[in-house]
Amino acid sequence: MRQAGAYSGLLCGGVSGRTGPHSLPLARIKKIMKNSGEDVKMISGEAPIIFSKACELFIEELTRRSWIMAIQGKRRTLHKEDLASAVIATDIFDFLITLVSSSESHAVGGATNVMEVETIDCS
Amino acid sequence: MEDESHNNTLPNGFNTGSPESPFLKTSTTTTQHNKEQDRFLPIANVGRIMKKVIPPNGKISKDAKETVQECVSEFISFVTGEASDKCQREKRKTINGDDVIWAITTLGFEDYVEPLKTYLQKYKEIEGEKLSIPKQMRSEQRLQQHHNNYHDQNNQPFNGAYASSNLISQPPYVPTDQKFSLTFSPNSIQSQLRQQDQIDSVGHWYE
Repeated sequence: MRQAGAYSGLLCGGVSGRTGPHSLPLARIKKIMKNSGEDVKMISGEAPIIFSKACELFIEELTRRSWIMAIQGKRRTLHKEDLASAVIATDIFDFLITLVSSSESHAVGGATNVMEVETIDCS
Repeated sequence: MEDESHNNTLPNGFNTGSPESPFLKTSTTTTQHNKEQDRFLPIANVGRIMKKVIPPNGKISKDAKETVQECVSEFISFVTGEASDKCQREKRKTINGDDVIWAITTLGFEDYVEPLKTYLQKYKEIEGEKLSIPKQMRSEQRLQQHHNNYHDQNNQPFNGAYASSNLISQPPYVPTDQKFSLTFSPNSIQSQLRQQDQIDSVGHWYE
């Protein structure tokens, strides 16, 4: 309980400010966790802390793989098309295919992405 | 060409300016932005982390940052859902750190586990240091109180001097005026008598 209290203080942005030693705000992470499902009841103080680092690693990996796609396209500006390509090419990012495909549906290359998704589904 | 120019302009503009300033133009956009903010991590934090892993001369478009924002929220929901399922199977109600790490491993992000454990260990060390800060703040408060007491002690001599003054009068202003007039030459006193306000004050004194 004491430990939780200490974390609650941090989550409220007390002594350590909005993000404290973390690069991402813990309160926002906790809110996203709560919104992920109705079955998510209680969250310990450690979980958002671990997520703040996990999300940082996730962003770094996703960005690094996307940058490779941009370089292959002879470009030095990262676009969401590069992110879509990286997601499609990486197994552990499968859960994002629907997300990047739907965001691409308004782009010119929407049809191509849809075809690629279908290809992956077949395999 | 126009599209390329537009794309080139956006990153520079948004990189130098405040990410939120464009949304202040219309209330509709502001409302939409506020709602989105509840579902995503701040785009400034996300952009900062993205820049760490690309070369200095690389640029990141705003749509790429926004896409990563969405991907991160999806990642959190994805992992949280897996951790929550595990808690339900084990009849527990609280998702703790170990559940998150287990879910991350199960979903294929094994490479993250060691950095996460190292991070958590360092965090606990920092937390230990953080706990000492409130004590320091208390010491600072005590120092401030001591300073206030010293200030009060400084006020006492002034009060003492006032109390010991033989020229006692109800209006606080009058004693100072009396002292001031005593230093005047007779000519100065006469000049004061000519002014009505001063006459009233002096008259009261004579009474």
